[in-house]
Amino acid sequence: MSLPRAVIAPPLSGLGAKDAFNRQASAAVRGGAFVFVSGLTSVDPATGEAIRGTMALETQRILENLKLILEAAGTSLERVVKVNVLVHSMLEAPNMNEIYARFFPEPPPARTVCGARLPHGAKVMIECTALAPDDEP
Amino acid sequence: MREVITAPLPGLDLRRHYGHFQSPAIRAGGLIFCSGMIPVDPHTGERLHGTLTSEAHVIFGNLKLLLEAAGSSLDRLVQVHALIYDSIEYNVLNRVYRQYVANGPPARTVWSAQIEAGFKIQLDVIAAA
Repeated sequence: MSLPRAVIAPPLSGLGAKDAFNRQASAAVRGGAFVFVSGLTSVDPATGEAIRGTMALETQRILENLKLILEAAGTSLERVVKVNVLVHSMLEAPNMNEIYARFFPEPPPARTVCGARLPHGAKVMIECTALAPDDEP
Repeated sequence: MREVITAPLPGLDLRRHYGHFQSPAIRAGGLIFCSGMIPVDPHTGERLHGTLTSEAHVIFGNLKLLLEAAGSSLDRLVQVHALIYDSIEYNVLNRVYRQYVANGPPARTVWSAQIEAGFKIQLDVIAAA
């Protein structure tokens, strides 16, 4: 019997495949015991339009959207196991870290941060893996 | 559920030494998700910059300690992301990497990225619990 594989319906249209990901991706997909979330950049969750600003502002926006996406998947920030953060420059990693620490619980998930060239002038992109809801009997 | 793997030696607690808001590893769903491994002294946490080779040896030593503390091992790696500072050292990476994952190596992706503190290599791995 195969484990569930399901696209998570976006909580707001701006976070859907069409608006936020140019039809190339779903925001989140469940695969068995996990929920896999696409790399998120800072967008308006209602419209999918890019919101550009400081590292702190973009990190805040991304993590607020992530919270909504995880909740739509029946899971939460507390159930995140691993986060990958891509930043436009490692010089700004502390600015990201400061906002990040406000969203994730104690004890925090595992994480890898690196600097990369991001699309559309984004300063930061965050993807994660979370535990799916415990809905098996 | 989601279980934190704490640092088996104090140098591997990057949160304490560098303020990184992360746990060393998390066990969940039969897998162990490790935070990005960097070349630090496992006792003191001091950065050990060197050649790509020397940094990779330190990283693999630390990873062995972390995975064994979690009840796993280097033989149980399933996926590795090897981040290198420049693809020009790809062959150097391979020469040291194969010393640690000779038999049935895990899935691997290599790319170049900017790594913290100017390190030449960082490993981002998942292992079976």
